[in-house]
Amino acid sequence: MLMENDYIIEMLGITKEFPGIKANDNITLQLKRGEIHALLGENGAGKSTLMSILFGLYQPTSGIIKKNGKEVKISSPNDANDLNIGMVHQHFKLVECFSVLDNIILGVEPTKGLFLEKKGARKKVMELSEKYGLKVDPDALVSDITVGMQQRTEILKMLYRDNEVLIFDEPTAVLTPQEISELMKIMKNLAKEGKSILFITHKLNEIMEVADRCTILRKGKCVGTVKIADTSKEELSRMMVGRNVSFSVDKKEAEPGETVLQVEHMTVPSKAHSNDAVKDVSFNVRRGEIVCIAGIDGNGQTEFVHGLTGLEKISGGTITFAGHDITKASIRERSKLGMSHIPEDRHKHGLVLDYTLEQNMVLQRYWQPEFQSGGFIKSKAVRDYSEKLIDQYDVRSGQGAVTVTRGMSGGNQQKAIIAREIDKDPELLVAVQPTRGLDVGAIEYIHNQLVAQRDKGKAVLLISLELDEVMDVSDRILVMYEGRLVGQFDPKEITVEELGLYMAGAKKKDVPAKV
Amino acid sequence: MFLLIKFTLLYAVVLMLVALGGMFSERSGVINIALEGIMVIGGLAGVFVLSLLGDKMPAPLLVAVSILVSALAGIIYSLLLGFSAITLKADQTIGGTALNMLATAIAIVIVKAFNNSAATGNGAASAKLTYSNAAFIYKIGPFTINIFLIIGILLLICSYVFLFRTKWGLRLRSCGEHPQAADSVGINVYQWRYIGVAISGALGGIGGFAYIVPSVTTWNFEVGVAGAGFLALAVMIFGQWKPFNIAAAAVFFAVFRSLANISDSTVLANLGLSKNIYSMMPFIASMIILAFTSKNSKAPKAEGIPYDKGAR
Amino acid sequence: MSEKTKNALLSIVASLVCIVLGLAVGFLVLTCINADNALDGMARIIKGGFHLKPKGIGSEIAQAAPLIMTGLSVAFAFKTGLFNIGAAGQYTVGVFGALYFALILHMPWYVCLLAAMICGAVWGAVPGIFKAYFNVNEVITSIMFNWIGLYLVNELMYTGVPGMYDQKTTRTYKLSSASPSSLIPDLGLNAVFKTNSTTIAIFLAVAFAIVVYVILSKTTFGYELKACGFNKDAAKYAGINEKRNIVLSMTISGALAGIGAGLYFLSGASEWNPQVSTALPAVGFNGIPVALLALSNPIGVIFAAIFVAHISVGGSYLPTKYYQPEIADLIVAVIIYLCAFVMLFKEMIRRSLGKKKRAEEAAKESGKGETK
Repeated sequence: MLMENDYIIEMLGITKEFPGIKANDNITLQLKRGEIHALLGENGAGKSTLMSILFGLYQPTSGIIKKNGKEVKISSPNDANDLNIGMVHQHFKLVECFSVLDNIILGVEPTKGLFLEKKGARKKVMELSEKYGLKVDPDALVSDITVGMQQRTEILKMLYRDNEVLIFDEPTAVLTPQEISELMKIMKNLAKEGKSILFITHKLNEIMEVADRCTILRKGKCVGTVKIADTSKEELSRMMVGRNVSFSVDKKEAEPGETVLQVEHMTVPSKAHSNDAVKDVSFNVRRGEIVCIAGIDGNGQTEFVHGLTGLEKISGGTITFAGHDITKASIRERSKLGMSHIPEDRHKHGLVLDYTLEQNMVLQRYWQPEFQSGGFIKSKAVRDYSEKLIDQYDVRSGQGAVTVTRGMSGGNQQKAIIAREIDKDPELLVAVQPTRGLDVGAIEYIHNQLVAQRDKGKAVLLISLELDEVMDVSDRILVMYEGRLVGQFDPKEITVEELGLYMAGAKKKDVPAKV
Repeated sequence: MFLLIKFTLLYAVVLMLVALGGMFSERSGVINIALEGIMVIGGLAGVFVLSLLGDKMPAPLLVAVSILVSALAGIIYSLLLGFSAITLKADQTIGGTALNMLATAIAIVIVKAFNNSAATGNGAASAKLTYSNAAFIYKIGPFTINIFLIIGILLLICSYVFLFRTKWGLRLRSCGEHPQAADSVGINVYQWRYIGVAISGALGGIGGFAYIVPSVTTWNFEVGVAGAGFLALAVMIFGQWKPFNIAAAAVFFAVFRSLANISDSTVLANLGLSKNIYSMMPFIASMIILAFTSKNSKAPKAEGIPYDKGAR
Repeated sequence: MSEKTKNALLSIVASLVCIVLGLAVGFLVLTCINADNALDGMARIIKGGFHLKPKGIGSEIAQAAPLIMTGLSVAFAFKTGLFNIGAAGQYTVGVFGALYFALILHMPWYVCLLAAMICGAVWGAVPGIFKAYFNVNEVITSIMFNWIGLYLVNELMYTGVPGMYDQKTTRTYKLSSASPSSLIPDLGLNAVFKTNSTTIAIFLAVAFAIVVYVILSKTTFGYELKACGFNKDAAKYAGINEKRNIVLSMTISGALAGIGAGLYFLSGASEWNPQVSTALPAVGFNGIPVALLALSNPIGVIFAAIFVAHISVGGSYLPTKYYQPEIADLIVAVIIYLCAFVMLFKEMIRRSLGKKKRAEEAAKESGKGETK
């Protein structure tokens, strides 16, 4: 029947410009009723922008949107909602101190006279929860529930409003492999019930598993739309990146030497809960090897790194580094002994954004005699040093060393941090999510830098959430789940699926304190 | 003893009203340091009504009109903060401080100009206004109650109900906790923040009026409100932005404040501590309490951060 | 034109816009009160001390000195990410320190000045400690301690420490009669300006401004303080002790305000009246608009302070028959309100000028396919 092939949503010729950048350039996207349509592209390709336009958060510079063949104007999320379009955002938009129920009804609250009347709403939510298999506790506070339940709350928000078009923005970024399977099942269910789904991702496996069709964006332009049944992972990847990508890093065999870092029974308290975030962790890292701690976000990696580098106090255990007990040492002492840290959050810890590039380059070394004398900064020394690093690591900025870092792109900001931390020639480089938000070319570069450090006989401790990166780059993988180490593996002898089971806590193996 | 209760209730109502005002503003996401200034402006407006129309209106009407005027003046003045903080997204602490200084200056200039033109004198005019506060005070048996006590309790209950039992309260709170979430469900964050600031203006204005009127019949506007607006902020923090906790905190702080007033006329005079020492006490008490409670303070998450809808 | 110079020019333009708008509002107020004399009134405010030279100029100089110090106090705190609204309280405590060492201990002026500085420093340290170790917002603590300081000082001067308060004048004793060695030398300036309180205080103030400037921009200490102010977390990551720096910063800020008190009262410009129990010295609060107008630049503070002193003195020359001298306060308050968005003016101007330039720069930056 022709009806089934009708498009429920059409975005035609959409262009969106921000000052200095064209995020979307003449893009056409058509969503069929009842289909699951993936939107694929690298970070910065324009996927989120396009969906934000559909959801009314932005207005297109030009182009039109049609629903059911009729042109519509979506100037706010209210309009989108009126058109039955809903969105689950990558960073959940939930009020943490409100209950699940309050979050679901926010903006469409049922009232009796002047007051809120939640009984009817609660009933409807529980019915929807049953129907679609979305388990939630309506009275729990969002701050107390798991990430999976938070996501289900976001989905229920859409279903409560009778949304027919559901947009998912990178929904699997925060889920375990098992929760991802569940989500895929839920999405297929929703499509079967007649909902139309648009789902933004850069994960090829998921697209192959659940999508009907896929539109690929690259650098703001639409590269094409393909039927999943007719394509392959390799073809999708080629369309996404524009060239053939080698999925693995070229590196020679590791030759580990003596132990540089020994962690014993380390315990770190959690700020949010009474349980510890890191429980009794013991392992070592040797010269000439890259050890990676893999795990789902939120399983204690952040607290572990903070404890290791000195940003937080640990409540138990010892840390021995380069022959010294640094358990109680200050951050500066650890740095002096040869520990370098590429932080998870480059804006929070890695850079003083309002400082210039050169001021940031010496952030870890300004107190050394090379850069100051009697308390007075040696500006020329600072300038020369920064320019050397800028050149060596190809850090690009508007005005060179005097650029205010806030104005630099994320990729170059990250390069500046990496330049600074690697140039210290550290005995141990702690790199947390070093390639987050960067494109394939930059990622390749940084991976090569990490391997180069290792080949020089230094130690690298990598914390990563990207399984591809974990498998490609590391020599030894440790899995962290709920604050404990639950497995140690050689990347050549384990599959991603198997790794996922450990990351989700489904399997466990003892990890030796020292290899 | 009666005096202590009388003064405590008086100050408690003032502190509570203003602190509730601060609560509404901060719960919507705007830090309101300008409460001191709003009290002055609200008080000024109300006192002017009394001064000019004191003998021309029946008492109940006078009470109603003057309180409404003080609330209105407070709202209008608070919109200056709103405009600066919400629309222009400027620093809220600086804006608030500016409005405090401006309020004192405006009050003195207006009152002096008024006295000048009324008296056609040649010397420097005074910054004092005189009025009758009889309409506000009632005698029930041995107690004197002023009407602000009743108004205060009513407003307290209304505040609680509004904030936690209506959809408007839910929306206002969401703007102070997670404005992006509110925006994504179609709530107009700017509008609700203006509302929060306006409510704080109204309550602050009434609070300022309540500070001035019941106790004396002449007010020197050079004095301002002697730090009551700032004490109210401490009350708000101590009350953790919850209406009934704020009321309790207000009573607590008011006890100290009223000790200063009765220090020279009661048993306390024997202790030989001067008025200055008592005046210091509410502030010292605040600091001690804040030191102990601030570690786990749960302020509205997004307060003080201007909301930018178009931020990429 | 280098980026740095362009930035400086933009800042000056933005500040000037605030000043002009503030004056315009002042003129409006004058007209509302008494339209006939408004022009003359405005002229007096704008002429400032020059309306009544040379005495007026001398008065302006004497007023500018403490204002430079309180301006430095607030600016220094701003630069390190803190809002020191407690300058008035630190100033008050500094007054006590100066006068105690002068009237009771009869120390020479530089010792008294040191005492003022130390008192101010202690009073500034307290909000710093509360913020660093108890997580109490420094604005609230400073405000509380403003009042605590005022009552404390009044108490000490009025009854606590005999020998400071003169019953007859209801003020503290005049330094010229009680302890002339404690007066800051004037090196003949008083004769030139026909005043009795214009001293080398102004030069001392300018010297302090230069010292603060050097500390902030050329030393590692300044680098650490500013890093803490811009980003506490990154500063911690860099091994900087943010708690210690918050306390140090507020202490120095308090010290600067204390020096201001010393410069004013040790010049014999005025005596302290402990009976006025609800008025904190306005000069403490006026440090805020000075710092804002100067965009927290120590050298800019010098000029901003002179400007505010200028219009305050001008305001005092308004004919009281028609106008209240508080109109100058009003203008200053309006200027602060506008200063809250002086940064915005700067950004707006910068953005409209920079749209084209940024497109060029974006092109320069792209290469290895950078994304956000």
